Amino acid sequence: MRDRALHKGAVRSSAEALAAAKLAGRTGRRFWRALEELTDAPAFRRALEAEFPNAFAGVTEAGRREVLKAMGASLAFAGLAGCTAAPHPDALPYVTQPGDLVLGTPKTYATAVVFGGYAQPVLGLTHEGRPTKLEGLPEHPASQGATDAFTQAALLGLYDPDRSKAPRFMGRPTDWSGFDAAMVENAERLDATRGEGLRLLTGAVSSPTFARQLAELMQRWPLARWHVFEPVNQDLRLEATRLAFGRPLEIQPRFEACRAIVSFDDDFLGPGAWQTRNARAWSQARRAFQGGRGEARLMVAEPAPSLAGAMAAERLIASADEVEIMVQALAGRLGAGPAPQLRLTPRQAQWVEAAAQALQRNPGAGLVLAGAHCDPAVQALALQLNERIGAIGKTLGFCAPILLQPPDGTRSFEALAADLAAGRVDTLAILEANPVYAAPADLDFPAAMQKARLRIHAGLHFDETAAACHWHAPLEHALETWDDARAVDGRTSLIQPLVRPFYAVRARSVFLQNLQGRLGGDPRAILLATWADRLGGEADPRWRETLARGFVDEPAPPQTPGAAGAPAVRLRRRGGGITVLIRPDPTIWDGRFGDNPWLQELPKPFNKLTWDNAVLVAPALAAQLDLKNGDHVRLSAGGRAIEGPAWLTPGLERRTVVVHLGYGRSLPGQLADGRGYDAYPLRTSAAPWRVEGAAAAKTGGKTELASTQLYTALQGFDFVRTAPVAAAQPGPPHPPPPSFYPPRLSGSPQWGMAIDTDTCIGCNACVTACDAENNVPMTGKSQVANGREMHWLRIDAYYEGSPDDPAFFNQPVPCMHCEQAPCEMGCPVNASVHTHDGLNMQVYNRCIGTRTCSSFCPYKVRHFNWFDYTLHDPPELRAARNPEVTVRSRGIMEKCTYCVQRIEKARIQADVENRPIRDGEVVTACQQACPTEAIVFGDVSDPESRVSKLKAQQRNYSLLEEVNTRPRTTYLARIDDGATHD
Amino acid sequence: MTDAVHPRTPAGYAAVTNEVAGIPLDFPHRTTWWIWFLCAAGLLGVYIISAWVLFVEGVGIWGNNIPVNWGLAISNYIWWIGIGHAGTLISAMLLLLQQHWRNSLNRFAEAMTLFAVTCGGLYPILHLGRPWRFYWMAPYPSTMKVWPQFDSPLTWDFFAVLTYLTVSLIFWYVGAIPDFASTRDKAKTRGAQVFYGLLALGWRGAARHWGRWRQSYRLMAAIAVPLVVSVHSEISLLFASGPIPGWTSTVFPPYFVLGAAFSGFAVVAMLATALRRAFGLQNLVTSKHLDMLGRLTLACGMMTAYGYFADLFTALYSGRPQELETLHDRIAGPFAWAYWGAVVLNFIPLQLLWRRRFRSDPVVLFLVSLSVTIGMWLERYMLVFSTLFRDYLVSSWAPYWPSFWEWSLFAGSIGLFLTLFLLFIRLLPMISAFEIKEAGFEEKEAAHG
Repeated sequence: MRDRALHKGAVRSSAEALAAAKLAGRTGRRFWRALEELTDAPAFRRALEAEFPNAFAGVTEAGRREVLKAMGASLAFAGLAGCTAAPHPDALPYVTQPGDLVLGTPKTYATAVVFGGYAQPVLGLTHEGRPTKLEGLPEHPASQGATDAFTQAALLGLYDPDRSKAPRFMGRPTDWSGFDAAMVENAERLDATRGEGLRLLTGAVSSPTFARQLAELMQRWPLARWHVFEPVNQDLRLEATRLAFGRPLEIQPRFEACRAIVSFDDDFLGPGAWQTRNARAWSQARRAFQGGRGEARLMVAEPAPSLAGAMAAERLIASADEVEIMVQALAGRLGAGPAPQLRLTPRQAQWVEAAAQALQRNPGAGLVLAGAHCDPAVQALALQLNERIGAIGKTLGFCAPILLQPPDGTRSFEALAADLAAGRVDTLAILEANPVYAAPADLDFPAAMQKARLRIHAGLHFDETAAACHWHAPLEHALETWDDARAVDGRTSLIQPLVRPFYAVRARSVFLQNLQGRLGGDPRAILLATWADRLGGEADPRWRETLARGFVDEPAPPQTPGAAGAPAVRLRRRGGGITVLIRPDPTIWDGRFGDNPWLQELPKPFNKLTWDNAVLVAPALAAQLDLKNGDHVRLSAGGRAIEGPAWLTPGLERRTVVVHLGYGRSLPGQLADGRGYDAYPLRTSAAPWRVEGAAAAKTGGKTELASTQLYTALQGFDFVRTAPVAAAQPGPPHPPPPSFYPPRLSGSPQWGMAIDTDTCIGCNACVTACDAENNVPMTGKSQVANGREMHWLRIDAYYEGSPDDPAFFNQPVPCMHCEQAPCEMGCPVNASVHTHDGLNMQVYNRCIGTRTCSSFCPYKVRHFNWFDYTLHDPPELRAARNPEVTVRSRGIMEKCTYCVQRIEKARIQADVENRPIRDGEVVTACQQACPTEAIVFGDVSDPESRVSKLKAQQRNYSLLEEVNTRPRTTYLARIDDGATHD
Repeated sequence: MTDAVHPRTPAGYAAVTNEVAGIPLDFPHRTTWWIWFLCAAGLLGVYIISAWVLFVEGVGIWGNNIPVNWGLAISNYIWWIGIGHAGTLISAMLLLLQQHWRNSLNRFAEAMTLFAVTCGGLYPILHLGRPWRFYWMAPYPSTMKVWPQFDSPLTWDFFAVLTYLTVSLIFWYVGAIPDFASTRDKAKTRGAQVFYGLLALGWRGAARHWGRWRQSYRLMAAIAVPLVVSVHSEISLLFASGPIPGWTSTVFPPYFVLGAAFSGFAVVAMLATALRRAFGLQNLVTSKHLDMLGRLTLACGMMTAYGYFADLFTALYSGRPQELETLHDRIAGPFAWAYWGAVVLNFIPLQLLWRRRFRSDPVVLFLVSLSVTIGMWLERYMLVFSTLFRDYLVSSWAPYWPSFWEWSLFAGSIGLFLTLFLLFIRLLPMISAFEIKEAGFEEKEAAHG
C-alpha cells in the first residue's frame, strides 16, 4: 500500500524511554555515574526483562556445558523449525492426507471464524503452514460453501500488522509473567470477596466452551457478573419475540420456501452474520421462480437503499415512521390486528394492497419481515402477521437465542455502566469488546470505567478500550486458536488452528483461566473438556470426525411459540427535522474491521466509497442544504452532534440521512486511525438506530472521498437489462454479429462465465474472494481517489430513473475474456495473448506498461501498477499471499485471469487421471464465494455444462454487444417481476 | 524566379558563404545567445529531474489513471512528432519537386525535425511502466524467441519513429556535408578545423563528390517523404485501431498527417521569422519565403479543418450513443475549452493568411504560427483525453488532471528542444549556403538562357 502511514515500526521501547527519562538533563561525568545507577534501578531492570526476556532467563548463571548444550539444542531446533509457522500438530486436516507436509500441496482444514459471536464455518487453505484462503464449508448448511466479504477478509485479520503482539501494562509492552502475577494476586483478592465487584464484559458470544468456563467462574465467584456489549446487536428483535411470545427467541426464516416476502426495512440480504445463509436460501427460491415454479416476489418498504431493497420487485421509499405505520396497515388489511385509522399516501396504500395480495396468493409461502432496528412492538406485530398468514413453522421458524444471553438480557451493558458509575465495580475484565469507542454516548462509559480499581482488556488489538485499561492481554485470532462457536443455524463449529500463533498471544479460554489465577492452560484441552461427554476424548473417533468435519451437525432445536400477542403500537409520527438512521458500516461494521485493508478498500454498495464513511443524503435534501459530495454536514440532536462529509444517495427518503458506524477511530499508528468520522456520539442507549428531529447544516468543511465509481446513473444505456420471466427459458441460438476476424478458437475446453444479475445482490463477497485468491494489492485512499484501485472484479452499481425513486442494479464486472480482444491487438510486445482454451492472458513478465490494452479495453477491467504497490508490504502481509499467483511489480498491467491457477490445477489432475476436466471441477474464487450462486463458470464448448445451459437462456446477453468483442463472460438479464405481475 | 535577393555573382556566392558559415565561427549576439541558452539549459535540467523522479518512483507520479491510461505524455508525443514533420516535408518533398525557395529554410527546418522527433520520441519511452524494457518493441533475435506483436499499431509506431529519426538524421547530415566543408575551410582555429573537418568527411567539392552527393541526397529525400506520411499515420492508428468511441475513425490517418504538417509549418514559420530577425538574414530568408510558408500553413490548415469536419460528421452519422457522447464532451462538455480553443486558435487567425500582405509580414506570420502551435497542442490534448475519460461503461468514467511532474516534463521537453536548437545555430551552418548558391546559379542560367 502506498499511502498508508502505518507499520512505521514499533513504538519506542519502554527501556529506551526509561533510560532516556533518567538520563534527561545529565551531562559529563555525572552521566557515567548515572548510567551505573540506571542499570541497577528496579524499574529499568523490569523493563529490560520485559524487552529481552531471554537475557534474564538464567543464562547468566550457565556454565560452559550449559551454553554448549543450549547451542546444540538451538541448532537442532532451528533445523526442525525450518518452516516457523507450522499448523498445530493436533489440528485435523479436512480431507485424508499424508501425515507429512508435502511442499507445494496445500492442506485444508474445516474450522470457523467468528463474527458478532456467530461462527462462520470455513475451510481454511494452508500453504506450507501459512493460511492463504478461506472458503465456505460446503457441508455446513449455514454456508454451503459460500462466504461473505467479512469472512473472506478474516484471513487478513490473522496477518494484520496492527495486531497486538505482546501484553501491555499501563500501555507499555511487557511480558506475560507480569500479567500472570497480577492475575494471581487479583484472584486471591476476589476469592476473599467471592467475586464481589468482578465484572466480565464480553462481545456477543455463542461459544459452549465460554459458557462452561463462565459457569465455572460463577461457581467460584458467585458475586461476579457477566455483561455483554455488542454495538450492532439483535436486541430489539429478541425484545420483539419476548413481546410476542413471552420469551426471547431467535428467528430462523426459511427464505428458500418463500414465494412472497414483504420486508419492512429489513435488509435480510445485507451484511451481517446471517447474510450468507439468507442470500443462498433466497436465491434458491428465486431460481425456482426462474424455472417457472411459482413466484419469488420481494416487496420492500424502506427509507434507505439496501441490498434487499435493490432486488425488490416493488421498492417503496418511506421514512422509518411511515414504514412502521405501514406494518400496521398491512396487519389491519390482513386482519392480524386492529385496523386503526391510518393516513397512508395513495402510493403507500397501493403498495400495502399489493403486499397483502402477494401474501394471500401464496398461502404458507409468504413471510413478513420487520427490520431488527424497528420498534419491538412493530416487529412483534410483524410476527403476529406471520402467524396470521400461516408463515410460522413454514417460512419462519424459531429457536432459543444462539448467542449466550447475559443475566440482564438486553439491558446488560446499561446495568454495567450504572454499576461502574456507582463505584460498585472492583475488577473490570473486558474481552473482545471496545466500549470506550463504541458505547452509547449517554452512558459516558469511558469516564465511568475509570472508577474500576483494576481494568483488564483482552483482545486482538490494542484499541481505545485497551488504552484505558491497566492490563492488556493480546488474544489469538480464530485461525490460530482452539475454540468453538455456533453458526446462525445453531450448529456448533469446532474452531481448530490453521497455524500456530505468530506472536506471544493467548487463547480466550486460557485468558479466562488466567483471570481466575490459574496459570498456563492449553486451549485444546479446555475445548476437549467441554466436549468430553459428547464426543469422547481426543482419541475418540467421534471427536476426530467432528473436528475434521468442522462442526457438530445438530441445528438449534426448533421452538414452537404459542399464539403471538402483540402490544399496541404507539403511533409515532415524526415531527420536524431530519431522521438520522444509524447503521453499521457495510464493510467496516462497527469498527472491528477498520484495520483490514481488504475491507477498507472494498467499495461499499451503491456509492462505491472506500476508506471513509459518509453522511448519506438524498439529492433533494442535498439541494436544500446546498451540499455536494464531500461537503461537511453537521448533524445535531439532543445536544449531541457529529460532522461528516455528505454523499448524495439516490433512493434515500428525502428527510432521512444515514450515518455509518465504525470510523473516526483514534488508534495512533494503526491503519484505521483518523479515517472517516465517528457516528457513535449521536447514538444513545434509548435510540441506538434512529434519531428523530435532528438538525442538519452545512459547515463549509470538505473531505475528498474516494469512490471507485463516480457515475452511477445508467443514463439510458443497456449495460444492465431486464427481461420477462419467459426469457429464463432456452431460446434459439443468438449468432454474434459478423466480424472481419476469423473465429480462431476451437477445441475443448473453452472457458466462459455467466453472471446472473437476477440473483446478484451486490454483497461484495466475490470481490474480496478475488482479492484474497489473486494477491490483488490494496492501494490506499489517495490512489483510489485517483482512479487507481486494483480490484480485478468490480461490482458496478447503477440506478435507473429519477434519483428520488430509482431502480437499482448490480453488475459484477470481471474480465470479459473477449474472443476478439482489442487489448491483444494493441499490445506491442505480446504480453496480452489468447490461450488455446479461450482465456485472455496477461503475461506479467513480458509487459512493459504501454497501457494500450487498457486504453483499448471497452470494459476497463485492466488495472495498472502505477507504483510498486507490493514492495513495501510488511512481512506479515506477504505471508498471506497465495503462492500460486504471481505478485505483480511496478509498471505492469494485470487483470482477471478466470483464476487460471485453479484451471491449471484441475487440468493437471485430469491429465493425471487421463480424463477430460469435469463440469464444475474448476470453480473460480468469485464463483466459490458467491452466496447466491450468481456466477457460473465452465466449458462453453460443452452444451451440457451448467454455464452453457445458462448462456442458452434467452435473457443471456453480452455487455457492449455492439463492439463485437465476443465476450466469454456474459450476463443473464434481471427478470422483471415488477408491478406488471398479476 | 526573378527575385533579386539571390546572389548571382562570384562575390555574391562568397557573401552567402560568409554569412552562413561565418555565423558559427564568429557568432554574433553572444550575450543574447548565452541568456537564451541558460534558460533553455535550465529547462533541460527540469527535464532531467522530472525524468529521474519518474524512473525512481514510477509512472504513478503522473495524474494518469484507469480509464485515462494515456496522459500528457502521449498528447505531447503526438504534438512534438507532428511538429517534426514540416522539416522533412520542406526539405525532401520540395527538393524532389525542385522548389528552390526551400533552400533557405531546409537546414534549420530539418534540424527542427530532428530535435522535435527526439523530444517526441522520448515521451513514449518515459511513459512506459517499465521504461528499461522499451527495447522489447524492437524485433531483435532474443534468446526467448519472442518477437514484437506485429498486429499492434505501437510496434509499427516504434519502427516508424525510429526509422524517421534515423532517415531524418542522415538526410540532414548528408545535406549539410558541403557546408561543413565550407565552414572547415573558413575555420581559423585548429579545433574548429578538426571538428568541421571530421563532419565534412573529406569533402573537396570534386565533381565526383557532387555527383555521388546528389544521388544519395535525392535518394534519402525519396525515402523520407513517404515516412512523413507513415509516421503520423501510425500514430493515428495508435488511437484509431482500438474500438474506443472518438478514436475509431477512418479519417484519422490523413487527419493526423495534415495536422502534423500544419503544426510543423507553423513552427518552421516561427523559427524562420525569429532567426531572420536575430541574425539579419533578410536577404536569404526573404518575404518570398515567408509568403510560401504562409501558403503552406494555410493549405495544411484548411485541410486539417476538413479533418475536424470529417471527424464530426463521422460521429454524427454513426449515431452511436457513445460517439455522440464523446462529441458532446468535446463540443459542449468538459473538454469544450480545449476543443473550441483548438478551433479558434487553429483556424481563425489563419484566415489572415489568405492575403499576401499578411503572409509576408514576419510579425503577423509569427503570431498566426504561434496561435496554430498552441491550437494544435490543444487539439492533441482534447483528442487523447476527451476520448479516454468517458468511453463505454458509465461506471469506469473518471476525470484526469495532469500532475506537476507531467507539466514539468513538458516544460523540460521544450527546454530540450531549445537547447539542441541553440547549440545547432551556435555550432553549425543553419542555412544551406551551397544550395542557395546553386539555386542562384541555376536561376541566373535560366534568366540568361
